[in-house]
Amino acid sequence: MTHTQKRILINNIVMVLSTLSAIIGICFLLWILSVLVANGLDAISATIFMQEGAPPGNINGGLKHALIGQLIIVSYATLFGVPFGILAGTYLSEYGQKSKLAEIIRDISDIMMSAPSIVIGAFVYAIVVAPMGHFSGWAGSIALTIIMIPIILRTTDDMLQLVPSTLREAAFALGAPKYKVIIQVVYRGAKAGILTGILLGVARVAGETAPLLFTSFNNNFLNTNMSEPMASLTVTIYNYATSPYEDWQKLGWAAAFILSMFILTLNILGRLFLLKKKGK
Amino acid sequence: MATIVEINEQKALEVKNFEFTYAGADAPSIKKLTMPIARHNITALIGPSGCGKTTLLRSFNRMHDLYPGNKYNGEILFKDRNILIPKEDLIKLRIQIGMIFQKPTAFPMSIFDNVAYGMRLQGIKNKTELSGRVEKALKDAAIWNEVKDRLKHDASGLSGGQQQRLCIARAVAVEPEVLLFDEPTSALDPISTAGIEELIVELRERVSIIIVTHNMQQAARVSDYTGFMYLGELVELGRTEELFVTPKERLTEEYITGKFG
Repeated sequence: MTHTQKRILINNIVMVLSTLSAIIGICFLLWILSVLVANGLDAISATIFMQEGAPPGNINGGLKHALIGQLIIVSYATLFGVPFGILAGTYLSEYGQKSKLAEIIRDISDIMMSAPSIVIGAFVYAIVVAPMGHFSGWAGSIALTIIMIPIILRTTDDMLQLVPSTLREAAFALGAPKYKVIIQVVYRGAKAGILTGILLGVARVAGETAPLLFTSFNNNFLNTNMSEPMASLTVTIYNYATSPYEDWQKLGWAAAFILSMFILTLNILGRLFLLKKKGK
Repeated sequence: MATIVEINEQKALEVKNFEFTYAGADAPSIKKLTMPIARHNITALIGPSGCGKTTLLRSFNRMHDLYPGNKYNGEILFKDRNILIPKEDLIKLRIQIGMIFQKPTAFPMSIFDNVAYGMRLQGIKNKTELSGRVEKALKDAAIWNEVKDRLKHDASGLSGGQQQRLCIARAVAVEPEVLLFDEPTSALDPISTAGIEELIVELRERVSIIIVTHNMQQAARVSDYTGFMYLGELVELGRTEELFVTPKERLTEEYITGKFG
């Protein structure tokens, strides 16, 4: 075998191996999705959206309580996390820049992003749930907020830094004060990127179970009082899927399907925003 | 010492023993520079890369203040006042001394909003006044006919040359006394370049212009005065036709004849 033939052979082997790995990965993903869609569609019905939780054996059980609970918990987390994350990201990109403090904040937020979410749940349990003496929707929202902030902070920081510095200089050169440069020029330039960061951040926390298990806990009935334990889709999936009752398991599938579709939609929207930006 | 031609006109700016040191640098990038800038004339700054011409230009509107640690010394007089004093109102200064950059810097907003940006910063809200002045600025920048039907469109849809003229319109809309051009055509094709040069010459009627350029032909074509800088110092400032035909300094002659640079 000549040297060239050998190189072509190795090239082909590597190509086949990497293609095969990619196909195997996609197979698992499609497998998960197809099982989810098959079981989810089978379990989904109008009653699910109208009814609250019911004891096993009662055909009138639904997910209304979990859906609304999830929506409330994630909404509050978004309400707290987004402004906080954007302002902190603005500080890093526009004020802190390459300073020591800014670099430390970036490192810490990177560490927080990869921190296991159950650890954050335990932290919130210790500082909110234990002093209050009971689980609550607030505790769940706080846990999700803590998970969301570093994601939004880092994407905001990155997206703002992508705005060319000459654009800032041009605004300053017209006599603009710094806050107007940031709000009117820099934010506009980074709008699509920041929005994508928000969507990805919301999608990420919407799928969290561990930090809710011992913060917002669960509730079999519709509850909109944030000071009380609150149901969520993720914890409901956990409870129903591991139960021995077939009708609960079915509801678990339905919940998993609804949640997955929600997160999938957010992710696709996020990507569309970025594509739109690039296409410009 | 530099050879500086006698300037009989009024002066827009006067640089006196000016030194500039970048943050963290040991030596100043501009050394003891003295230079008058004639009012309502075009002064070109030429010189090899790294000679300090852009650094000098960005000192006139204190652009260096955006980044921490840069140091000014000496004086730059504008209307008989030293603009290098720490408590100088930079917002007011930059309204009076505008700047055009190397790459077009159209803001991510509509064509109209781009031109109105500086005026709105000054608190002009009246719609009739705004649209009148936007139209005038766009006409002054010779781009009105191309954009008058799409003022509400995003400025990013314009070509590079159009964007640069939009930036000029935006700068003249606030009626500055001095306009600083930092290699305004280096990112443009020859036809757009010719358009911008024509525009710069016309603007001289109303504003004093300082233009940094890498292109000696451009300096010769548009400017009334030319300053040649080398290693952070002014070597020669002369009337453009004299400096290019009969330079007084040997270094100037070597540069304009292409012996180095």
